Amino acid sequence: MENRIKHILLKGALIAGLAMISSLVTAQEDDLPLIEPDVQPRAVDEALIDTENFEIGVFTGIMNIEDFESSFLWGGKLTYHLSERFFFEANVGFAEGGQTSFEKLAGNVSVLSDDERDYRYYNVNLGINILPGEAFLTENYAFNTNFFLIGGAGATEFAGDTRFTANAGAGYQVLLTDSIAVQIAVREHVYRIDVLGEEKTSMNTEVSAGLSVFF
Amino acid sequence: MEPHKLFNMRLAFILLIAVFFPVTAAADWLWGGADEPQPQPQVQVVKPFIEWRTGPASGYPVFHASEKGEWLTLLKRKTAWLKVTDVKGREGWVHVDDVLETVDGTGEQVTLNEPRFDDFGSRRWEVGILMGQFEEAPSTAVYGGFLMTENLSAELWATQVLGSASEIRMFNANIVHQPFPEWRVSPFMTLGVGHIFIEPKSTLAVPEDRDNSIGHAGLGVRAYVTDNYFIRAEVKDYKIFTNRATNEEALEWKIGLSIFF
Repeated sequence: MENRIKHILLKGALIAGLAMISSLVTAQEDDLPLIEPDVQPRAVDEALIDTENFEIGVFTGIMNIEDFESSFLWGGKLTYHLSERFFFEANVGFAEGGQTSFEKLAGNVSVLSDDERDYRYYNVNLGINILPGEAFLTENYAFNTNFFLIGGAGATEFAGDTRFTANAGAGYQVLLTDSIAVQIAVREHVYRIDVLGEEKTSMNTEVSAGLSVFF
Repeated sequence: MEPHKLFNMRLAFILLIAVFFPVTAAADWLWGGADEPQPQPQVQVVKPFIEWRTGPASGYPVFHASEKGEWLTLLKRKTAWLKVTDVKGREGWVHVDDVLETVDGTGEQVTLNEPRFDDFGSRRWEVGILMGQFEEAPSTAVYGGFLMTENLSAELWATQVLGSASEIRMFNANIVHQPFPEWRVSPFMTLGVGHIFIEPKSTLAVPEDRDNSIGHAGLGVRAYVTDNYFIRAEVKDYKIFTNRATNEEALEWKIGLSIFF
């Protein structure tokens, strides 16, 4: 008799246990996270997601104008990021040509007027981020970085004329936040010029540092 | 520096900005989106997991994964990457293809406006920059076009040609007809008019500026690449109506990249 009572009790406990396990299993099958966030039944409105594919910036640096010394350079850029890798970039830059060695040695001669020494360029380029990376400031804090190659064509206005100019270079960009970046870059600007007699290829090196904002 | 040159330089830059600046981006930037702050959109993961990266490119390392059932808040977007945050406040970047496989608050699959080849056929606007040669001289051009029907579009062009003897600027308007708009590589023909400004190099003996009306006809091709851009190449034959006894003719070819909206 005692055995029989035990048997019934144990059987009851077993069924209760099974029921509990099965309810646990169904709860797991629902796959609900333990903390359910306060989600409103609303479709995704794309207009609320800020897209930051454009970038506008300023830069300053040194422009080495062949035969006409190096000078302070400043300018601006507008970039459109086509993808994580490729971007379009338009630049304008302003500098001022100095004196040729001849002018310095000969004294009272001038190859160009003051106005003609104004150096301006614009160009449009295709860039490629070839080495995306992270720069670690501390153990837990990193900035996203890009090493990029860039090249394109445009025009340079110097010595009284506008000349077709090709340019190519490379740069390193550090994103301080998602929207603000600093960069250093080196570019070579190449054009044909005939101001000092025969026409020749002029190589002009730009070294610059810049600040830009994504929007 | 003559003042008109400076003006032209500025005009070129403003044109460039205007061409590359979508109106919507400018509006969002100026007015910061909606007037009253609406909560950022949220999506729920339905795949087994979604990978998070530290930056908006596939080169950045995966540092976290969201499991099925988790809710993500979409913060911002750079190219094909969305910055997300989860209930624990973590932040990272998720690819748009993964987000397209999530569901929104109503349980529907998320749809984002992803430009695809289908959109190429139904585009309204296109802008682009092309480079090539005008006779022997290098030529750079920017343009904007509006598609009136799927076959017919109207375009405005600004072109700068920098030769060894002169600087040429052209402003043109033309009509473009594409007979096969549904093709991935779609040929077209153009017909238009414009004005040409020729300014000889200052080192030449007798520099004399001149400007003339021009008419032109051309053939070209648009080739869809991916997302919302395509390659455009074309050849144009220009007739320059001079006030001398004979008119002049010039051939130009150029190739470049365009974006459509």
